Amino acid sequence: MSLWVDKYRPTSLAKLDYHKEQANQLKNLVQCGDFPHLLVYGPSGAGKKTRIMCLLRELYGAGVEKLRIEHQSITTPSKKKLEINTIASNYHLEVNPSDAGNSDRVVIQELIKTVAQSQQIQSSAQREFKVVLLTEVDRLTKDAQHALRRTMEKYMATCRLILCCNSTSKVIAPIRSRCLAVRVPLPSVEEVCSVLSGVCRKEGLLLPPELAKQIAEKSGRNLRKALLMCEACRVQQYPFSPDQDIPETDWEVYLRETANAIVSQQSPQRLLEVRARLYELLTHCISPEVIMKGLVTELLSNCDGHLKAEVAQMAAYYEHRLQLGNKAIYHLEAFVAKFMAIYKKFMEDGLGNFMF
Amino acid sequence: MDEYDEMYGIEDDFERQFADELEVMAELESNNPPAAKVSEFRNKPITQTFEEALVSGDQPSRKSVNNQNPESISPPVYEEEEESLTPKPKKRRQDVAKKLQFGVDQDDDITPPSSPEVYDREVRDGPRFSLTLSPDRPAATKITTNVLDISGLGALQESPKQVTAAKRHAQKRPPAIGDYITVTDSMGNRVYLNKKEDVEKTPDPRAFRNSLNGLGLLAVPIEVLKEQIAERRHRQVVEESQRLTELMKSGIDSDLLAEEQTDSGVDGDSGEDEASSRLWVDQFSPQHYTDLLSDDFTNRCLLKWLKLWDTVVFGRERKSRPVPVEARSNFTNAQNQNQAQRFKTKSQMTEEILEAELDQYKRPKFKVALLSGPPGLGKTTLAHIIAKHAGYNVVEINASDDRSAELFQKRIDTATQMKSVLGANEKPNCLIIDEIDGAPAAAINILLATLNRKDSKDGEETGVNALKKKKKKQSVLLRPIICICNDLYVPALRPLRQQAFLLVFPQTLPSRLAQRLAEISRRQGMKADTGTLMALCEKTDNDIRSCINTLQFLHSRGQKHLDQRSVSSMCVGLKDQNKGLFSVWQEIFQLPRLKRKRIGGDPFSGYDELGPKEGAQRLQHILHLVSSTGEHEKLTQGLYDNFLSMKLKDPGMLGVCSGLDWLCFSDLLNECVLHGQNYSLMRYFPFLPAAFHQLYAATSVPRINYPHSHYEAFTKTQHIRNALLAMLNDIPPAIQSRVCMSSLCLDILSLLLELISPKLRPVNPQLYSTREKQQLYDLIDTMINYNLTYRQDRTPEGQYTYVLEPNIEDVVNYPGLPPRRQLTYQVKQLIARETELERMRRVERAQQSRNPQKMETVNKNQEEKKTEVKKQTSRNHQQRLENIVKQTVVETRPELDFFGRAIVPKEKPVVTATSEDGKVSGVLNIGKAVGNSDVWFRFNEGVSNAVRRNVYIRELL
Repeated sequence: MSLWVDKYRPTSLAKLDYHKEQANQLKNLVQCGDFPHLLVYGPSGAGKKTRIMCLLRELYGAGVEKLRIEHQSITTPSKKKLEINTIASNYHLEVNPSDAGNSDRVVIQELIKTVAQSQQIQSSAQREFKVVLLTEVDRLTKDAQHALRRTMEKYMATCRLILCCNSTSKVIAPIRSRCLAVRVPLPSVEEVCSVLSGVCRKEGLLLPPELAKQIAEKSGRNLRKALLMCEACRVQQYPFSPDQDIPETDWEVYLRETANAIVSQQSPQRLLEVRARLYELLTHCISPEVIMKGLVTELLSNCDGHLKAEVAQMAAYYEHRLQLGNKAIYHLEAFVAKFMAIYKKFMEDGLGNFMF
Repeated sequence: MDEYDEMYGIEDDFERQFADELEVMAELESNNPPAAKVSEFRNKPITQTFEEALVSGDQPSRKSVNNQNPESISPPVYEEEEESLTPKPKKRRQDVAKKLQFGVDQDDDITPPSSPEVYDREVRDGPRFSLTLSPDRPAATKITTNVLDISGLGALQESPKQVTAAKRHAQKRPPAIGDYITVTDSMGNRVYLNKKEDVEKTPDPRAFRNSLNGLGLLAVPIEVLKEQIAERRHRQVVEESQRLTELMKSGIDSDLLAEEQTDSGVDGDSGEDEASSRLWVDQFSPQHYTDLLSDDFTNRCLLKWLKLWDTVVFGRERKSRPVPVEARSNFTNAQNQNQAQRFKTKSQMTEEILEAELDQYKRPKFKVALLSGPPGLGKTTLAHIIAKHAGYNVVEINASDDRSAELFQKRIDTATQMKSVLGANEKPNCLIIDEIDGAPAAAINILLATLNRKDSKDGEETGVNALKKKKKKQSVLLRPIICICNDLYVPALRPLRQQAFLLVFPQTLPSRLAQRLAEISRRQGMKADTGTLMALCEKTDNDIRSCINTLQFLHSRGQKHLDQRSVSSMCVGLKDQNKGLFSVWQEIFQLPRLKRKRIGGDPFSGYDELGPKEGAQRLQHILHLVSSTGEHEKLTQGLYDNFLSMKLKDPGMLGVCSGLDWLCFSDLLNECVLHGQNYSLMRYFPFLPAAFHQLYAATSVPRINYPHSHYEAFTKTQHIRNALLAMLNDIPPAIQSRVCMSSLCLDILSLLLELISPKLRPVNPQLYSTREKQQLYDLIDTMINYNLTYRQDRTPEGQYTYVLEPNIEDVVNYPGLPPRRQLTYQVKQLIARETELERMRRVERAQQSRNPQKMETVNKNQEEKKTEVKKQTSRNHQQRLENIVKQTVVETRPELDFFGRAIVPKEKPVVTATSEDGKVSGVLNIGKAVGNSDVWFRFNEGVSNAVRRNVYIRELL
């Protein structure tokens, strides 16, 4: 546990650094020893998983932290073998069903049902239910989500589900209505700063508040990222200086350069170059939504007032089609081309106005 | 052939090019002049009718009467008899006259009916007559024979049935009992006829009259006559059909055929029936080299190649041709020659191949000719005709035959090594393997093996000698093989392609094809102008078979007049065009040329060539093209990869935008189709290429690259995902539960790489300060937690580097960004080592914690034997030495005497090496000495014939 992220992760609800009120509520929720299905959502790096683990610990005690990896193999009806890694303790099971790709429905049906159907033997010593923690629920196919619906109701007695995702928009409404939704928002900059300085204090380091603020802003309030950045800063140069370079993730730099390339010139040739860069990003497992978001953010900063609205609208349109479609590159490129067209027209109009 | 030889000198070039053709033609003419043959067949019936006409003289209606009413016997009697007996009409006349004399009194009966009434009477008479006659046929026969005998004309009818009928009374030997009459026919055969007293059969006068009548008119009984007529009719029909098939086969001189068909009238009926059931393609398939529609150059090349075999197959010497280039260079100017040298066209290359020397068995260099081209160009026809004309007997193997490896081998062997002995055509075989692109690879390998088979024994011998031997052995391929395929680039054909004489069929010239079509349609009585036929050719892509089939189809539907509209509106001749993707892309990105338009649109039909109509045509064309191609995915990918590099004027980028919108739409469509199995939506796929055509088509020739981008991206993604998965799989669960792939990519990895490359002094870690040690420890801890390590790798330049394993640097790094700071080689080495050690320590600790009691005992044991164990593990050569020592010790067995009893040893033998006795054998001493010393070596240990002996270091020095 050498990374600060792992080392200083709070393990109980009481020790959480921010959203304390919510932590309190969660504590009250499990006080009685039972809780409904939960749907925990929030952006990445907000501490969803931490909160969930704290909750489980509150519920079951320290035994929950004794984790083991179980490799499950499931045969689909079409005789395809699926290998799924699950992380389990004696009390809970964590699955990422989206690992199974298109066959995630089978995972839901087989894996969760088997867990849910088995009764706890010593219900006096333990809780009478197990917890199944499903991560990345928003990446589940609709089929799998529908398979989940009935399971959730039917096995309520033996099993609680905690669903964890980034956005509820891709979770079907029946599931949303069956769960208690818990939103974990990103920490504010100040909260991030306080966490960073607290960690540094524990490490015996002195973190200048300016640097902490910079890191918090640069990380986009993603606490995981902020901690990693802080540690990277520490590795680069120890006695911190307030105006130190903060290491960035490469893909962000690359995406920014791509946006600059789009703004600087609008032509089919440039579009080809941009396409190569988009492909590069996609191949590095950066999801198209992230690319879209990053691009739009960068591009909007280069736009004027009413153009901003238009670009945002275009972005929304193409992102929607991106979600519907299959080949992300087409939609991303279509957005870029559209932006180029709008931007070019805007610039030419502006130039025309300037001339007359 | 001599006259051709003389001509060689005059027309040098022509001769050189066409020599083979000329030769073959000449041979053909000398052997069986085709024209003569045809005319012979054609004339035969005519001459017959002529003869008949001569015979019947003044009875023009005779023939039709004969055919229509077989019962009317009387007139043909003479004709039949006369014809069979005597060939010369003149003599017939005499005979008739004679007979007339013998005929008692019925003059008007003998003369054939010239008027209908007479004929009618005959008809009325006929059946009655035969009825009355039939019961007492023997008598009649006897009478007739008598008559015949008397007349001296001799013969009974040659009809065998008649003879059998007569056999009851006619005997070869004189009968033992009773009277008999000796009869001798014109051939000199003598038979004896029984004489019977037919007393009880008092002939009733009418019958007698009739029989007398028969005596006069019917030299043979009515049955016989009927049979003869039937037979003759049969023969006529057979002849007629034969003649027709012959004519159809010949396929030329259509005029005559048409005339005859119209002339022959009733006779032609049966023939026409047969013809209409046949495909025109077969009916009009070329029979001669000159009839071939395919490209002349291709034909000539194949023929030349086949003629190269003449030396080995027919034993003919190859004519030495004048050396082409040098000889001609005198005549042609220098410029021309230069050009020829600079640009070696494909045809020249082919010619050169054909001019190449024969190999040691006098075979051409390429043993196999491989014809390739799209269907319907006449490849099979060409092969058959050329083989036939070069004097071969064609043996064909095609896809309808079983082509498993064994059978293929068998068939090749039989075809190439045997020869038909029976039958008229004792020609050598030429094997034609049709549709070879569908054959399994094993079969093709067998073919190759056959080609490359060499006579191991008489490999050195050459020429005639070898040839003779081969005739005995029959193992080397000595017959030409022609293979035919559609797709030259089938993987199974790859090895064959290198060893074959490749002939790629070019498109048939539409003008020639149209000409032939015009001929056919004229012959079948169909009206079609050249423009229409050209349109048909274009529609079917110059596919001969398809064209003719379409014609026949239209003909059989009763369409006697073919016009442009029916051709263009018809979807019969259209086949699924199997165009390559590149040509499809090209057509999408390129505007059609003007010339094409002129051919496609008929100037007289009143179409406007320009304007929306033309655009619609283009659209239709693209739609059709794309939907027949079918590979939508790849096609779209190709469009996507290439459309931005098209040269288009698009300042506002609007065209690009709409193109991409189309792509997005197509993607959504595809998703919908695949996700909901909504395949009816697939019909909208072709509109994307059509839209692209409208948006981006230009007149210039586009440069199209094969679309790699998607595949490359896919493989790269897979690579990166695999690296990530490998990393994720071994991360301890406590951390694994917190990281997922997306967070690894987005947040962690990039910063993690920064984290694991701290500034470390490149010195021995022993010299590190506590702080640095702590840093190093943290680093190693991180690396282990995230399942990273450094692995030594060798670069292509031969240098050693340490790379991360799994290689997440690939995951993080982007091209064009400044490279991140790397640790030095030494530091990486240090980290790698320490990581490894730490890992081992952890595993040990984990084991210990998992079963502490066991470990404790182990620990105790370890502590007890600590030094020993350590020594053993660290210096394992000592263990080996001890083994050696043991062996040597074991070898010193107690000596046995002859009877197997142990000889009492002088000193006590040492059994084990571990015995700590003071008395140790000398050998053991040596072993120990070796074991204790630091230097030791082995001499040929493990080799069975090794001699073990003591070697001292000083001897080696």
